[in-house]
Amino acid sequence: MKSSIFNTGLLAALLLGLGLPAFAMASAATPGASFVIEDEKEEAKDEESDEDEDKTRWYAVVGGDFHTGTGAVLKNATMLCKDGKIVELGYDVWIPEDAEVLDATGFRVYPGIVAIASTGLFGGGSDVTNTVDPYSQGMLLGLASGITSAVQGSEIAKLKRGSIDDLVMGSNFFQTMRYRSSTPSGKQELRQKLDEAAAYLRTLRAWRADRSKDKGKEPKATGIDMGLVAVLAGEKRAIFREDNRAGLLDIANLCMRYGFRPVIQGGREAWTVADELGRAGATVILTPRDRRAKDQSLIREGGTSIENAKILHASGVQVAVRSMSTGNNSMGGIAGRDVIHLPISASFAMRGGLSEQAALDSITIVPARLAGVDHRIGTLEVGKDADCVITDGNILNYATFVQWAIVDGAMVYDKQAEMYYAHIRPRPDDQLAPEARVDAGEEVEEMTGIDGEPIVKDAEEGEGDETPKEEEGEKEKSKED
Amino acid sequence: MKHTLKAAVALLALVAWQSPLAAQSTSPALQVPEKVGGVEPGAVGGVGLALISKKIVLAEYQGRDVINNGVILVKDGIIQAVGASKDIVIPAEYEVMDVGNRWIMPGLVEMHNHVAGRFGLNDMVYLANPGLRASADVEPGNHLTKMGLAGGVTSVLYIPGSGTNVGGQGVLLRTGFDTYERCEIRNPGSLKLAQAGNPERWLMRPGRTLMNYNTRATFKKGIAYAKTWEAFEKDGGVKPRVNPQWEIFRHLRKREVHISTHTQMYQVVMMTITLVHDELGLPFFIDHGTFDTWRLAGEAEKREIFGVLGPRNVDPPNQGMIRWTGSSPERMQGVAAGYQDQGFTRIGFNTDSPVIPQEELQLQAAIAVRYGLRDKEMVSLRGLTIIPAMAGGIGDRVGSLEVGKDADILITTGSITNPQHSVDMVIQLGEVVYNPQEEGRRW
Repeated sequence: MKSSIFNTGLLAALLLGLGLPAFAMASAATPGASFVIEDEKEEAKDEESDEDEDKTRWYAVVGGDFHTGTGAVLKNATMLCKDGKIVELGYDVWIPEDAEVLDATGFRVYPGIVAIASTGLFGGGSDVTNTVDPYSQGMLLGLASGITSAVQGSEIAKLKRGSIDDLVMGSNFFQTMRYRSSTPSGKQELRQKLDEAAAYLRTLRAWRADRSKDKGKEPKATGIDMGLVAVLAGEKRAIFREDNRAGLLDIANLCMRYGFRPVIQGGREAWTVADELGRAGATVILTPRDRRAKDQSLIREGGTSIENAKILHASGVQVAVRSMSTGNNSMGGIAGRDVIHLPISASFAMRGGLSEQAALDSITIVPARLAGVDHRIGTLEVGKDADCVITDGNILNYATFVQWAIVDGAMVYDKQAEMYYAHIRPRPDDQLAPEARVDAGEEVEEMTGIDGEPIVKDAEEGEGDETPKEEEGEKEKSKED
Repeated sequence: MKHTLKAAVALLALVAWQSPLAAQSTSPALQVPEKVGGVEPGAVGGVGLALISKKIVLAEYQGRDVINNGVILVKDGIIQAVGASKDIVIPAEYEVMDVGNRWIMPGLVEMHNHVAGRFGLNDMVYLANPGLRASADVEPGNHLTKMGLAGGVTSVLYIPGSGTNVGGQGVLLRTGFDTYERCEIRNPGSLKLAQAGNPERWLMRPGRTLMNYNTRATFKKGIAYAKTWEAFEKDGGVKPRVNPQWEIFRHLRKREVHISTHTQMYQVVMMTITLVHDELGLPFFIDHGTFDTWRLAGEAEKREIFGVLGPRNVDPPNQGMIRWTGSSPERMQGVAAGYQDQGFTRIGFNTDSPVIPQEELQLQAAIAVRYGLRDKEMVSLRGLTIIPAMAGGIGDRVGSLEVGKDADILITTGSITNPQHSVDMVIQLGEVVYNPQEEGRRW
């Protein structure tokens, strides 16, 4: 249907306008997930004694391979969660009798994905707290894709299906700045404001440090941009939207001069100035599949590169991956480009040479750091929130599905209990059945590791009856031979 | 002096580090053989080229899948031999390139491309203009085509749009060269038929203007014209006048050219099958084939019809505008998986580029697998190569690595269905047409 966009601009506009983005999200109130609905909770409270209110909530994930995101992989380990926090992660873990237990043997456990930009995952408007629809299709599909927390607008919130409590973890963690050569006066103005903010901050700190009795009143902040003060004080991150090499260099110089670390959104030509951005301590939010031709009138390198993420990472720049579309437009029929395919976006960074660990970081801990919530989410560590996803393979592989998602130590998504993906490679009831442990993607990777080394090392566990045809082909060939 | 030398070395190292062409894979760099007599080995008029690889994906139609530890011999742009290393004797005069652990596979084939030209076609004047030729609009080697080439796409069918019932003739092109003459595989490459939806232009004129009548009448006129020529060729007599508007039907009747049919939704594809195949007997393939058409894939399979699916790759449960079909109210239905479930075997993929960028053709196969396509017997790789090639009627030239076919060869880091793997080199007609080590990596 989209092919006629070449015929007339008007038709193109109409088709694009109507064809892709505007599919109403059906609210999918699917019962059966294993959380307690608020009303029921109320009733339960009435019936049960007060003791139960303070009862500790235990949840244990037993037997999976824990890809913690810290570099460590704990095979066949156990994670114990108490009241939504991870309290044990390792071996020989004591599990309380009243703990809810999920047997994840044969599966992998990853920290929940953190989407650095999203729209529509919370089923409401820009104000998550007051407009969230905890039964929305968006939230379900987000969890199904592995996302347990997402930035929407100026907030970062959890996808806590069935609950509206404690969703928002933080807000206004970015201070938007513009520093573009197209408006030289604007650049001058920003530098002046930063000078003023820096001067104010120095005065304020001196005043605070002054222990004498006659130190006077707190310095006045009249005319001072407090957002910039917060950036200089390290309380907020400054974010710039910039793609061009010259602009990126300007930003790097500005940030080194004033001593704060920039966040760059876009960064299409960032690979050409990776060292400068590394020195400035930049974090770049990029879309690996972004594409722009080099400006042929310039001699220097330019345009997009599939190797952008790899080159930046090698220069010490932290990389967060953002999907091409922050919405959920798979529902228009074209899957693979939106926020619910974030691991595929990250795997394009791997195509450009980014390591698997850095690719995982780019959709977990790096966005968590940007939003200032890395002490709570982004990796699986004792003391952090119990937000994780349990998958049937490498989370960065295109064929992998999330089987269960856990947020704040409670299961919020079970693939087989929901209508969307249950029919695709269904999970056998017996999780220990060989089929359950065969990961098609893993096998492909196993065969295709370029240096002859399988990317996935636990092949002996993943070995099942199903042999890919390539190998059958080999066998047939050798028979022929 | 010593210091300047050191500085120069450091600078060089820095440049090498900065440059995207350095250090892109852990395998040793590919060593392209030197030209002999000014001609690349393997190219037309040059000495032969032997490619050695640990894994060669043949992608033969219903034939062999892969050869491990194999050799391909290429001379004059044509594959001379392909087989296991121990079975192939490399002639002494052949230049050798060992690609190590990299894979070798046929170039990818795209049967629905709109970016190989300059958007200069106006196919919206008449509801049927079978004489219009997309070949007049080709722009060889433009940026979007080169991006596609870097993604491994070596053959494309560049076609008119779907704003009218019969939009004109497509042209089959190679993507690796800079002149039209070298790019052309076949002209006319196809006839474009579009049904329902787009040609209705539901929000403006003409609406549902008797379009099956229109298609049928046009095709019958064309067939009548072709029959006049066939009678003349057989029995002689008065030579008919050449009419460029109808010439394409002579090729269609000889099955040299196929109809690429923009067709989707159950009743529309059913019309294509019954009208074009059953009633008029013209060769066609299903292009798009999305929404609920997977439900009649069994009917298409009975008639040995090819399907080139996309750019939509899933049929989601939806309450939105595309509720025409209501085909999958309850689940995310993979389009290709649906076809496969109905026993359909000729599954190909398209991007409708630029709807999906040309270089992401491989992702269409990955998404198909994600959403349930069982990737046994290399269904996904064949859907990127031999199936679309046969759909377009060039399966005898490209789409698999077989003796006598064009040497359109990819050297990749692994199975190209996986988006994490990339193309390290593209060879077309025996010539290196994309070499990231030299020109920088584009994709």
